Amino acid sequence: MLVPIFTLKLNHKINPRMVTIGKYDGKHPNLTAATTAGKVFVHNPHTRAVRGGRASEIAVDSDISLLNINQKISAICAGSLDSMGVNDILMVGTQTNLLAYDVQNNTDIFYKDAPDGVNAVVMGKLGTINTPLAITGGNCALSGFDIEGNDLFWTVTGDNVCSLALCQFSGDGRNQLVVGSEDYDIRVFQEDEIIAEMTETEAITALCPMTDARFGYALANGTVGVYEKNSRYWRIKSKNQAVTIDSFDLDADGVPELITGWSNGKIDARSDRTGEVVFRDNLSSAIAGIVQGDYRMDGNMELICCSNEGEVRGYLPANQEQKGNLMDTNIEQETIRDLSQRKQNLILEIKNYEENAKAGKDERPSGLGDLDKAQMGIIPANTQLQTTLTVNSGAENSAPHVELTVNTSNDTVLKSVLIFAEGIFEGESHVIHPNTPSLSNSLKVPIVPPKDIPVDLHIKAFVGTKSSMQFHVFEVTRQLPRFSMYVPCTDQVPEPKSSVVFTINERIQRVVLWINQNFLVDEDIAAETPLNVGFLSLRGSGPIFIQMQANGQITIRTDDMDLAGDLIQALASFLGIDDLQVVADYPMHMEDLKNLLVKVDEFHSVRQKLTAEMADHSNLIRSLVVRAEDARLMSDMRNMRRGYMELFDLNRDLVNGYKIRCSNHQELLNCLKLVNQTIQKAGQLRVGKFKTMVVSSCRQAIKENNISALFKIIKTGTS
Amino acid sequence: MMELSLNRVDYLQVGVTCPRTMRLLPEKKAKAPQKVAVADQTGVIQCFNIKKGEAVSAFKTLPGPKISRLELGGTLGSLADKVFAACGSEIKGFTKKGKQFLGFDTNLTESIKTMWVCGSHLFLGGNYIFNHYLDCKDENYYLCSDRINDILCLPLTRVKEVTPVLACQDRVLRVIEGSNLLYEVEVAGPPQSLSLFADEGGEEGEDVLYGTSDGKVGLVQLNRISPSHKWEIPNEKRSGGVLCMDNYDITADGISDLLIGRDDGLVEVYGYNDADEPILRYSTTLSESVSSIQGGVVNSSGFDEVIACTYAGWIQGLTTEPSYKEAGPGEKVQVSDDTQGKISHLKSELESLQSKVMQEREKYHYQAMNTKAISAVPQFNINDRFSLNRDDASYTLSIEVQVAIDNILLQSDVPIDLLDTEKNTAVVSYSACDTENGNFLLATYRCQANTTRLELKIRSIEGQYGTLQAYITPRLQPKTCQLRQYQIKPLSLHQRTHMLDDSRPMNQLKLTGQFSLAEIHSWVSYCLPEIPERTPPGDSINFHFLSTFLDTQLDCLYKKGEGVFRSDNISTISILKDVLSKEATKRKINLNISYDLADESVANTLRRIHPKLEYQLLLAKKVQLVDALKELQIHEGDLEFMSPEYRQILEEADTLQQEYKKQPCHLERLYGMITDLFIDKFKFKGSNVKTKVPQLLEVLDNYELENLIGFFEAGGV
Repeated sequence: MLVPIFTLKLNHKINPRMVTIGKYDGKHPNLTAATTAGKVFVHNPHTRAVRGGRASEIAVDSDISLLNINQKISAICAGSLDSMGVNDILMVGTQTNLLAYDVQNNTDIFYKDAPDGVNAVVMGKLGTINTPLAITGGNCALSGFDIEGNDLFWTVTGDNVCSLALCQFSGDGRNQLVVGSEDYDIRVFQEDEIIAEMTETEAITALCPMTDARFGYALANGTVGVYEKNSRYWRIKSKNQAVTIDSFDLDADGVPELITGWSNGKIDARSDRTGEVVFRDNLSSAIAGIVQGDYRMDGNMELICCSNEGEVRGYLPANQEQKGNLMDTNIEQETIRDLSQRKQNLILEIKNYEENAKAGKDERPSGLGDLDKAQMGIIPANTQLQTTLTVNSGAENSAPHVELTVNTSNDTVLKSVLIFAEGIFEGESHVIHPNTPSLSNSLKVPIVPPKDIPVDLHIKAFVGTKSSMQFHVFEVTRQLPRFSMYVPCTDQVPEPKSSVVFTINERIQRVVLWINQNFLVDEDIAAETPLNVGFLSLRGSGPIFIQMQANGQITIRTDDMDLAGDLIQALASFLGIDDLQVVADYPMHMEDLKNLLVKVDEFHSVRQKLTAEMADHSNLIRSLVVRAEDARLMSDMRNMRRGYMELFDLNRDLVNGYKIRCSNHQELLNCLKLVNQTIQKAGQLRVGKFKTMVVSSCRQAIKENNISALFKIIKTGTS
Repeated sequence: MMELSLNRVDYLQVGVTCPRTMRLLPEKKAKAPQKVAVADQTGVIQCFNIKKGEAVSAFKTLPGPKISRLELGGTLGSLADKVFAACGSEIKGFTKKGKQFLGFDTNLTESIKTMWVCGSHLFLGGNYIFNHYLDCKDENYYLCSDRINDILCLPLTRVKEVTPVLACQDRVLRVIEGSNLLYEVEVAGPPQSLSLFADEGGEEGEDVLYGTSDGKVGLVQLNRISPSHKWEIPNEKRSGGVLCMDNYDITADGISDLLIGRDDGLVEVYGYNDADEPILRYSTTLSESVSSIQGGVVNSSGFDEVIACTYAGWIQGLTTEPSYKEAGPGEKVQVSDDTQGKISHLKSELESLQSKVMQEREKYHYQAMNTKAISAVPQFNINDRFSLNRDDASYTLSIEVQVAIDNILLQSDVPIDLLDTEKNTAVVSYSACDTENGNFLLATYRCQANTTRLELKIRSIEGQYGTLQAYITPRLQPKTCQLRQYQIKPLSLHQRTHMLDDSRPMNQLKLTGQFSLAEIHSWVSYCLPEIPERTPPGDSINFHFLSTFLDTQLDCLYKKGEGVFRSDNISTISILKDVLSKEATKRKINLNISYDLADESVANTLRRIHPKLEYQLLLAKKVQLVDALKELQIHEGDLEFMSPEYRQILEEADTLQQEYKKQPCHLERLYGMITDLFIDKFKFKGSNVKTKVPQLLEVLDNYELENLIGFFEAGGV
C-alpha cells in the first residue's frame, strides 16, 4: 500500500484548479495557489520569504507569504519564460488582466490588459516559436506572451476556453496546443492552425499531456479519459466531478498514469492504456490541484495533491518491491473472485435458458395462466422491437422535434423506454414512462438535439404485459444523423439572402450520398443534375438550399453562418478534401459586424472617459481628506463635517462610476466575443490552410483597424 | 491496544442465502479446523472443510425449497454438531456426516422464518406465530401482534425455566412463558437479530444482544421479573441494519468479542473495555450484505477467523493468518501452486461453460423464428428494503441483486426528493417529468461494473402519498428487469412507539360507521407505516406513533364501527381525515366524522418545534458567516478584535458545516410543516388562508416564537 510521505495543513483555502509549483529562486520548489479574497499564497518551507511590495508575510505560519492581487483570480501558472534563465515566473490571470510576477525579486515583469479574460494559462514552447510563451485562453481567444509581454501568438477558437495543455500531438518534436472549450470541443492548434478537432459531451474542464501524442481530459459531467491523437483510448464516468488531472508515473513502470483529483476528495491513478485503477486515496475535502515537484529536495519527484481546505499530501512513486501493486489487494484472490463471479453468471444464464425451455414445454394447450404470465413476464419468442426516426415539424402545442417511434411487433406492451445518449438530454438519460391505463405497444419519444452532432441513442425498452412484474429488456442502438433537425422543403419558402459558393472535384452522386446519410429523409434523394435540395431548419434559422452544378460548383444558401460552416466541414471530411476556399456572401452578418465594431469603439471611448473621471475623483478625494483632517486638527468641526460629507458623496459617485464601468466592461466583453466568434465562423467556412489564413488575416485587419479589408477577407478568404 | 489486522480470503460461492444460514460445526480439539455448514435459497445444504485453500465437501443435499434458517443442535452437554434446517414448514436434521435423522413436518400454516434449537427443544417462528416443540411434540403456542424477526431461548443449562424471547417488528422483545407473554421490552429500533451475550448469556445466562434494522446494537438482561438495559451502540455513521451477530474471541484477549454483520456489507468487531462497554476494534466492508457471521477456525489450524456469508452466497474469511505476501520485503510475490491450480481449474470450467452458453444462446435466438414459442425468463432474486430513518426523517431504499446491476429506473407518482449518499458510486441522471402521466420523479442509476448493491435516500412529504417504483435490470442475459413497488404512505414520517405523553393537548378525530375491524385496520395500515398487515387479535386495537420529524404524537384506537385518532399536530389529523374518508368512500361506506379540536394544541406544537427551528436558523446564520470570517482571518491574522461569538464560529467552523451538510433542506422542511399547520388550522375552521402564506413566511424569516404564535392566533397580521 502506498502511503503519503508527507502531509501538510496549510490552513488556507485553495481555489479549485489554481495550484502550481515553481522554483522562483531557481532551486527551491514552492507550492503556490490562489486563495480567497484575491490573494495568492506561496508556500516556501526552504528559505525565508522576501518582504515588501505585493508580498506580505503572516506571523502565524511564516512559511507562507501572501501576494495581494486585489482582483478575482481566474488562473495561475508558474514556469520559465526566459530561455536562458533558471528562475521561474509566476503568471496570475484575472478576468481582465494578466500579471507576470517575479516572486524572488518581488517585482512585476509585465502587466497586460486581457480584454478576453484569462480562464487558463500554460507556459512552454509552442511550435516553431523560439522563445517560451505564457499562453492564455480567454473568451474565444488564445494569446501567447513572451517575457517582454509581446504577444507573439494570437488566434480565435469556437467558444470560451476552459482548459489548455501543451502536448507533442503530431510527434514532430514540437509542442502543439490542446484547447478545451465550453462548446464541448477539444481543438489542437499547430500554432494558429487547427490540426484536429474532437467533439466531447460536455465542457472540457481539464487537460494534461501524457506521453507522446497521448493526453488526458476531464469533463464537467464527471468523465475522465485519455486520447491518443484524435482517437479516444478509454473513458470512465463518475457521479463526482473530476476537478483536476495530471500525469505521473506512480507505480514506477516507466509509463505515467493519469492522476485524477475528484470533488469528493478522492484521488485515483489510472493506467493510461486501460483506465484501470492502480491506486486510490482520500482527502477530507474536494481536491483543488495536483502538481509534481521535488518538495523534499532529495532528488525524487513527488506527486503533490492539495485539497480545497489546504490539506497537502505528497506521494513518492512506488519502489520496486511493490511490483506496481499499490493497493492492499491480493491479486490471486481477486482473480479467483472474478473468475468465480463469471462462472456464477454463466451458470445463471444457462439456468435462464433451461427454465425458458421448460416453460416452453409446459405450455398447456390453453396457454399459460394469467398469474404465470404476470409473474414471469412471458412474451412470444418472436417479439421484435422496431424503432424509426422521423422529423416532426411540430403542431400548436408541441415544438418541432425529431420523433423516435418505438414499437413491438405484437400486442405486448412497452412499460417504459430508457434512452441513454450524451449531449442531447439534461442528464445522460431520458425516460418515457406512460401511466398504466395508456400502456400500448408503441411509444413516441420527442428528441430535440441542441447541436448538429451525430448521436448514438442507446435504447432500452421494457417489454411485457400490462400486469407484469418482470419485463424483457430489449436493447437497441440507433444513430441520430448529424443534421437531424431539418425537414425537406420545397422552393415555396423565402430565399435566404446569404450564400456560400465553392467548387469541388466530385460527382453529384457522392454529395447526394452524403446528404442521405446526414439528414433525416423519408426517401433517399435521387441524384439529378443540376442538384437542388432544400431543407427547413426546425430550430427556426430558416431554409437551407444545397445546389450543385455538373461542373462541381456547390452553392449553399442559408442565413445561418454556423450551419453553413458545419455543413462545409462535414462535407469536406466526408469527401476527404484537405483544403477548400469559398466565396461567402453574408450581407446581414456583415451589417451586424459593422455595428458591433462601432459599438466596441464606443465602449472603448466610454471606458477611457470613465478612467479619466476616476483619476480626477481620486485627486479630489486626496485633497478633501487633507482638508477635512486639517479642519479636524483645527477643531473646526463644521468644516470637517462638510468635508466628510463631500467625501461621502464623492465616494458614492465613485461607486456608481465603478458600476457603470463594470457593466460597460461586460458589454465590451460580449461584443468582443461576438467579433471573435464571427471570425471563427468565417474560418469555419473554409477548410485547411484557407481556414488558418482567414483567421490570421482577420486578426491583422482588426489590429490595423481596417474594416473594409476585414469584410473582404470574410467574403473571399484573402485580403 | 493492539490493532486488529485481518486478511480476506474467499472460499466458495453457493446460491443466494437467507440471513443466518451458515454455521461452523464445533470441533472437540480447540483451534482445530472446523467444518462449515451452509444452506441457500435453492434448498441445498452443504457442509465442507478447507484443505489447502480448496473447499472439500463433506456432504451436499439435493436442491429443494428455499432454506430460511440453519441452526446447530445436539443433546444438552455434548457438542452441538447436528445441523437443523428450516424450509417451508418442515424441519430437517442432519448429522455432521450428512445422514438425515430428522424430517419433521410441523403443519404450520405459515412458513417458518426463524428457528432456535436447544437440546430436544425446538422453537419456531412464522410471520406471527410462535411454536415450541419438545421432542417434536407441540408444547406451547403464542400469536404475536406484529411480525417475529428472530427467536432465541435463554440457555437451558443455566436458566431452569424455558424462556423464549421473540424479537418483534414493533420495536419490542417479547419474553414468553409457556403460551403466555411474560413481559415486553421496548428497544431502540425494530430488532432484527438476537444473540446470547458471550454465547452462554453472560453471568446469569440472561443477557441477550439485539441488533436492529436501523443499525443499532444493544445488550439487555432479561430475568424472570423485569428487564434491564445494559448498553446500546448508537448508529452514528448510519451503517446498515444488523443481520447477524456472533461472539468470538478474535482479538485473543480472553474475552469474547462481538462480531456484527450488516446489510450494507459492513463487518465489525467490537471488543470490551474495563467497564464492559463495547469498543470498535475492526471494521471492513464486503461488497454485499452479510447474511451470516461466525468466529472460528476454518482455513488452517491455530488461526482464528471471522467467517462471513454474504447475500449472493460468498463464504469469506477474515483471517488472523498473515498472508504470505507480507513474508518479507524484497521477496518475490509468487502465486502459490495451490491457487495457481485453482485458477486454471476455474478457467477451464469457464471455457466449457462459455461454449455451453453459446449453444444455448443460439438455441434461444433460433426460437425467435418460431411463432408459437414463448420467452419466459425466471425471476432473479432481489433483496430490498425500504425503511424510515428516525435521525433525519428520510427513507432508505436498498436494493441488492445476486449479479451485478446494470441500471435501475426509479419512478414515483408523488413528489419526493432523492438524496445523494456517499456510499453509492452509480451515476444518477434525472429525466424531465411529465406530471400528466403521473410521473413526478424519473431517474436512472447507471451502476459501475460489479455493483451488486445500491442504497438511496428518499425524502417524502407527509400528506402526499403514492407509489415509488423501481425497475431493476441486472447484467444477465437474456436481459430482463423486475419491477418493485414501495408504498409512500400519507403519514410516511411517523414511527411506531410505545410511549404516549398524555399531558399534551390533543385534537381528536372520531369516525363511526358500518365498518368491520379488518376494514378500518386496512385503512389505518394504508395511512401509516409499521403496522402489521394482518389484523391483530382482540376487539380493539391501539397504536401509538411519533413523528420522526416534529416529535408530535398520534394515538390510534379503533374497533368495529368506531375509530378514534388523537394527535397534538392538527396537520396529522387533517391528513388522516382526508385519506380515511376517501378510502371509506371508495368502499361505499358511510362515515360519520366528528372532531374535537384543542385550540391550545397549535401553540403547543409550535413551542415543540421552536427549539428545532431556532437551532436551524442559528446554524444557517452561522454557516453563512463562516466563509466571510475565514477571509477576515486571512487578512488580519490576529483575531483579538473579533467578538467571542465570531471567534467561536471560526473555531467550530468545520463541525458547523458538517452539521449543515448532514441535514440538507431541514429548514425548508420545517417551514413547510409550519405552513401546513397554519393552513390546516384554518381549514378546520372553514376558512382558506392560502393567500396569507407569504405573510407567514415573512414572519418566519424574522422568527420570534411569540410573534409566530400571535400570527397563528390572529390568522394573519
